Amino acid sequence: MRTRIPLLVCLVSGIIMFAQYFSSHPIAKTVYNGILEWWQIIFAFTMFVGVAAFIRNSLKNMRRKGEAPYRVAALVGLTLMPLLALIGGTKFGSPFLWAFDNMIAPMQSTVFSLLAFFVVSASFRGFRARTIPATILLLTALIVLIGRIPIAELISESFPKLTFWIQSYPSMAARRAILIGIGLGSMTTALRVILGIERTYLRGE
Amino acid sequence: MDIGVLTAGILTLAIYSFLYKDNPVYKMAESWLIGLSIGYALVIFWQTTIIDILIVPLFKDGRVVLVIPFALGLLMFSRFSRGSSWLSRIPIAFMIGAGAGVAIPAMLYARTLKQMSASVMPLITENGGFNIEALVVAVGLLSTLAYFYFSREHKGPIGKTAKLGTYFLMIFFGATFGYTVMSRMSTFVGRVDFLLTDFLHVIR
Amino acid sequence: MTTLRTRWILFAGLAVVVIASYLITVHFRTTASPATQAAFDYLETLPESSVVVFSFDHEASSLPEIKPISLAMLRHAFQKNLKIVGLSLFAEGTAIGYSLLRKTAGEYGKVYGEDYIFLGFKPQYISAILGMGESIRRVFPQDYLGNVTDTFSIMRDVEDYNDIEMVISIADGDRTVQWIEYAGPRYNQKVMAGLTAAMITSYDPYLSSRQLYAVVGGLRGAAEYETLLGKRGGGNRGMLAQSSAHIYVIALVLIGNIIYFRNRKRRGRG
Repeated sequence: MRTRIPLLVCLVSGIIMFAQYFSSHPIAKTVYNGILEWWQIIFAFTMFVGVAAFIRNSLKNMRRKGEAPYRVAALVGLTLMPLLALIGGTKFGSPFLWAFDNMIAPMQSTVFSLLAFFVVSASFRGFRARTIPATILLLTALIVLIGRIPIAELISESFPKLTFWIQSYPSMAARRAILIGIGLGSMTTALRVILGIERTYLRGE
Repeated sequence: MDIGVLTAGILTLAIYSFLYKDNPVYKMAESWLIGLSIGYALVIFWQTTIIDILIVPLFKDGRVVLVIPFALGLLMFSRFSRGSSWLSRIPIAFMIGAGAGVAIPAMLYARTLKQMSASVMPLITENGGFNIEALVVAVGLLSTLAYFYFSREHKGPIGKTAKLGTYFLMIFFGATFGYTVMSRMSTFVGRVDFLLTDFLHVIR
Repeated sequence: MTTLRTRWILFAGLAVVVIASYLITVHFRTTASPATQAAFDYLETLPESSVVVFSFDHEASSLPEIKPISLAMLRHAFQKNLKIVGLSLFAEGTAIGYSLLRKTAGEYGKVYGEDYIFLGFKPQYISAILGMGESIRRVFPQDYLGNVTDTFSIMRDVEDYNDIEMVISIADGDRTVQWIEYAGPRYNQKVMAGLTAAMITSYDPYLSSRQLYAVVGGLRGAAEYETLLGKRGGGNRGMLAQSSAHIYVIALVLIGNIIYFRNRKRRGRG
């Protein structure tokens, strides 16, 4: 029962959502719209499960040496945002949006911008023309890096033109092959999931 | 100075302290960010989903049928109970099944057929010229597909074609690397813009 | 210790290069790429009062790159008196989209609910995209502020994708792919994108197959759009720093390779 019920649910919802593609009957439309709505509602609950798991783990790890202040900071932050939303709502000029604009957004983009430094470090240490494929990779990267800066246009208009050519034809062809591969793979996996052959999602209760 | 800009500036510098080495100031800012981000997402999910498409239609408009997704959503919490955690498989199975069902036609048409048809271009143009780009795309596509074809050993013609495919893949990875560097630099440039313009007022 | 010191020198070098470039004012001529030109031309030629969707499908982490793109495109849309329906398929894009819409609408004296609306966020992007093809009001019964969507005049004639001229997905990941693959084939919805530079090559096949109408990519794309629009902004401001950072990376790659080949030659001799 623990496996059969989920497999049956998956089969039914999968077949309905696949079959509705070929029907515009009002009943099919109603069922389709209903499933889309249910899907969103259920999905939203996964977010709350994640939050609950985060709180549980934070409380558990608080006992670890030196971890407590960081865990407390995270939990205070987690509580603060709903509190701010309760007090002032989420409209323009609210404390909730103030906290987002002046704390979350700057911190997130700063964390992301750290990658610029690591890219610099990696470019110096690891980007070597050791083999023919590595040399092709390196040369293409250098052409793109030069071709997309305004200074290159001042030197020669061929730089951006060459960049767009590489991007639009040889690079695009390789990406397209990857995309077609993913497309075929996704289709077969989806079919296997609906038919109950692929069951990995049932693991890890 | 505006208190918001001051807060953002201090937190930005706290994060950048990581470039020197991992330190308590950075770790505190990181934890604070994690907490705030989860709290933010909680509010948005609650307000735009639970209230909008569940609570209001169910309790105000009387759409009783929504009790089913509500119950399925609640089943997700069974993951925290060892004895009944299998129940959480039911809503997961529902979502995975629905996703798989809609994915098949989308993947077939938009990702496979459309991409294949876009690759078929005339090699000779209207004015009798040779379309080198069409040849590059065809050779690049077929050789890269050969590289990902694992049903036969990469020897002989298949091996040579697959090797050519790796060169096309390297061109793609190189272009992607170039653009990724561009992207990461832009993010840093954006933060420098904030620090020099709004926070330190070095530039007006 | 030497490795750590080298790392710090490299980091400091980048900081110095970018900061120094920022202190110099240089106006570059940024020629638009064909993809940016196509995006601009499309909005330029749309008739007044056409409805376009701006979907803010990104996180706050990519804001420095995404914000100049969003601002340039929103300003253009408001300047052309287009009606804007804003929404987000990423929780973090919600606050950003709402703030950017408010800001640009204020610049052009646009009225909420009449000239633009922000519908907020919906999770599970595939079901949201497919659902909007059936009824936008059903997916977004209320706007971001909790008002009933139906009460706004802008939504009176907007039922589904048939009433939307273009979906402009501002993304830092593969959310635009879902717009292309789910709204495109089934509902014939045209899609355009504002992307972070890192995502540009991933979307080239869709651009080539015309499943994606146009792309404004990265800070450079924002600068190109600003130039076409005649309004300098964050994109153009960052171009010298961006160029300097690229040259710095190129120099490091070349120096790294020179050292590598010199060492290899020495080892070969030894």
